[in-house]
Amino acid sequence: MKQRLRYLPLNELAEGMVLGASLTIAEHGVTNFALPAGHVLTEDNLCQIARRGGEFACIAEEDPRSDEDRAAELAAHAAQLQRIFANADMERPAVAGLHAAVLAYRSL
Amino acid sequence: MPLHLKESEIIERAALLPAFPTVVNDILETLDDENAAMGALIQLVERDPVITARVLSIANAAVMAGRTQRDLRDMQVAVSLIGLSKLREIVLAVSLAKFSRESGMGSHFWEHSIAVGVAAQELSRIGHCSRDFALVCGLLHDIGQLWMARCHPLEFQMVRMSMEQAPDLDILDAEIWHFGLDHCTIGRLLGTAWHLPAPVIAAIQHHHDAHPPADKLIAVTHLGEAVVNALNIDSHNHASVRHVSATACDVLGIDWNDDFNFLFGRIEARSRNLARIFG
Repeated sequence: MKQRLRYLPLNELAEGMVLGASLTIAEHGVTNFALPAGHVLTEDNLCQIARRGGEFACIAEEDPRSDEDRAAELAAHAAQLQRIFANADMERPAVAGLHAAVLAYRSL
Repeated sequence: MPLHLKESEIIERAALLPAFPTVVNDILETLDDENAAMGALIQLVERDPVITARVLSIANAAVMAGRTQRDLRDMQVAVSLIGLSKLREIVLAVSLAKFSRESGMGSHFWEHSIAVGVAAQELSRIGHCSRDFALVCGLLHDIGQLWMARCHPLEFQMVRMSMEQAPDLDILDAEIWHFGLDHCTIGRLLGTAWHLPAPVIAAIQHHHDAHPPADKLIAVTHLGEAVVNALNIDSHNHASVRHVSATACDVLGIDWNDDFNFLFGRIEARSRNLARIFG
């Protein structure tokens, strides 16, 4: 099964979830807590993240969607973006750039 | 009947709003001195029992998530546990959330303000400017709309109806039609009356500009709102991106060909987290 990345706030993280990207928490530019991508979160990790002011984590999980479901979801996102950008000048590189970046994010 | 408000009327009618939390100005004035800031911040917080209780409650929630069997009742202990920068963030958000609530604005207004505050903060990392200033600019960027809703609710509603009937209408044009002034101008006048720092006032004034002045705080606020609307973070049916300033991108060093997945994920997740805490 394919994997997908999701960005979850602290209260939605749970023991057993797998980090999709390294998690680092820093204060005054100094890293005081770090876990690598692929690490399986434990109850103790969750307590430490909360205590150190962590607010979210990137989680890798199995993607239960079929290819058709994934394509339909992406088409829905593209249609929504088209509505949101309906009054913008897509010829402008900055506008087109933000649009493309958000569409790429929604393809995850 | 459209209003033709004069700038002087904005300040006169601002008396209808709750008192603006002066702790916001106090925090922004003491940012540069970390040592002096801690004692001063604790004193400022303790002046307002509602904010004190809320800050301690949030600090307690963090401690409880850490499964520590303690009940925080002392602000010094709270600071030592959650850190000064976090405390500053909590105080700014709590005091402005209280102001927004007392002004009678719906939750959507505040959720959007939090999301733009978070997006501005995250963009401030890229542009290397103050996180706290960026947060305040984002939280206050639509403060002019709060005045409109409180002081002239009927006309405020008519602007909303105009937008629903003509989705391609620019909100600033609709506001000028119904009020004689737009929310960016009203926000500038309020910010000046409340003695907010000039860079914050400039960000409020120019966040909708197609070509805003080249300034980092204006850029993080302008692009922060564009990103929040593009991501449809507050699930607002009328979210719209009209301008994405190339100048703002250049000022912050943003190249849209880079990978923004992590930044967008961060903004979405943090916005949800803070909306839950400060909602």
